[in-house]
Amino acid sequence: MDALTAELIKLKRSLAWPIVIGLPVVLVLAGAATQLADGTTPEDGWDTVWLQSVGFYGLFPLAVGIAVLGSLVWRVEHRGSNWNALMSSPASSLRIVVAKAAVIAGLTALMQIILYLSVLAIGKLAFSLEGMPDSQHLSITALLVVATVPAAVLQSGLSMLMRSFAVPIAVALLASGFSTAALMVAGNAALVSPYGLATRTALLGTGSFVDEGTITGGDVAAILIAAALGTVVLVLCTTAVLEHRDTRV
Amino acid sequence: MSGAAVANEFAKMRRLRVWLIAVLMTLAVLGLSLFTVVSSPDFDPGSPGAWNALLAGMSLGIPLICPLLLAVIASRLTEVEHTGNGWLSQATAGITPGVMCRAKLVALGLVVTVTTLGTGLLVILSGKLLVGILAPPPLGRWTVFTLCMLAVNLVVLALHLLVSAKVENQLVALGIGVLGCVLAVFSQGLPTAAAHVTPWGYYALATAADYGGGGYIAVDVCYPSIIALAVVIGIAFALVTDRFDRQEA
Repeated sequence: MDALTAELIKLKRSLAWPIVIGLPVVLVLAGAATQLADGTTPEDGWDTVWLQSVGFYGLFPLAVGIAVLGSLVWRVEHRGSNWNALMSSPASSLRIVVAKAAVIAGLTALMQIILYLSVLAIGKLAFSLEGMPDSQHLSITALLVVATVPAAVLQSGLSMLMRSFAVPIAVALLASGFSTAALMVAGNAALVSPYGLATRTALLGTGSFVDEGTITGGDVAAILIAAALGTVVLVLCTTAVLEHRDTRV
Repeated sequence: MSGAAVANEFAKMRRLRVWLIAVLMTLAVLGLSLFTVVSSPDFDPGSPGAWNALLAGMSLGIPLICPLLLAVIASRLTEVEHTGNGWLSQATAGITPGVMCRAKLVALGLVVTVTTLGTGLLVILSGKLLVGILAPPPLGRWTVFTLCMLAVNLVVLALHLLVSAKVENQLVALGIGVLGCVLAVFSQGLPTAAAHVTPWGYYALATAADYGGGGYIAVDVCYPSIIALAVVIGIAFALVTDRFDRQEA
């Protein structure tokens, strides 16, 4: 628990909030921009607002956002002599990896909640839609919180290995592009890629790109299994890698 | 600025894998261009307008991929100066921070030029050989389009070099890169006037073909605006890098 408390203290001054709040808000605004400019209202109400918001968000900004958070959380460890302090601390590799991944996954979860709230806000305030969005959208948001955990763990691992802030982000952009292509070709088999898992879940029920428009129990089960397995495997791999790292001169 | 300063930047690039990012940028844009052809059901390689599909694919692929990867390579080559205290050590060797930024622009600019022109050529070649388009390629339009995209790429690169050099925390540079990606993509749906507001909007102005009326049609490239942007940012870059030389290290 100490490792996690330490991470939360480091987070306080790390400027994570512009990404956590800014990214989903900008994408929801961008999705609605054309209609706001034309003064028209979305055809299918909440469904259209949701599709416009997650349609692009799920393709790669989601993965890139997780990557930025990963780089941000690990940035401090690569500065000054902090790496050596980390290597010589009594906390075990597993605890460090879990604490870092938990912080990144937590911020990612907040990002999804902000996305949902932004959709709600733009529907209510800009388009004055009636009622509330389907409970389905809330469930997808909750599923997205779980399904982005493997991507958070993987990006945490990449940012742990690379001292550069930017490279893990380039990896996320390109990997999510290739994963989307793999989803189109191979379907749910591409869920082995954490990026494919995040994209598939974000686009669930929208009928765009990699989705047929109906949500089946099989899809949800596949997503949950992939998220659970991916998280465990990636945490163990990252721990094994960190275990073999040493101090740097 | 001397040739030695530029050669110096190429030496730094060797271990930063900039070339790898450049190659992946080319492949990603090529993949998206070909995807446009594969995904349009009424595409006919025999029709005289067949090249428009590939041009439209590139017009979408470049704004989708380039802004973030340009931010990555600019950040990567500038970050090493912050971490290794290169600003001071190079200044004592006679290369002041402003001169170094210009050398970085020339060195990375060469990489971006080769990448962008190479992508243009590669898409023509794959249109001929892989897709088997019968009509001769519209070389004049293709050249204007590629040069305009190159100009916007160089402008975005120059701005990112300034941000990465000025703000040590690369979160800012990469955050702007992500925002730029979103702006570049969504500017295509906005009125032309709105596209003039941000540098990334000019990707939309360089669009050479678009989907309309049941197929891909040619669109006029708005090149006077792009020339104006290149001149304005060129002068601004010269002025700002000149200011860099007058700062305390």
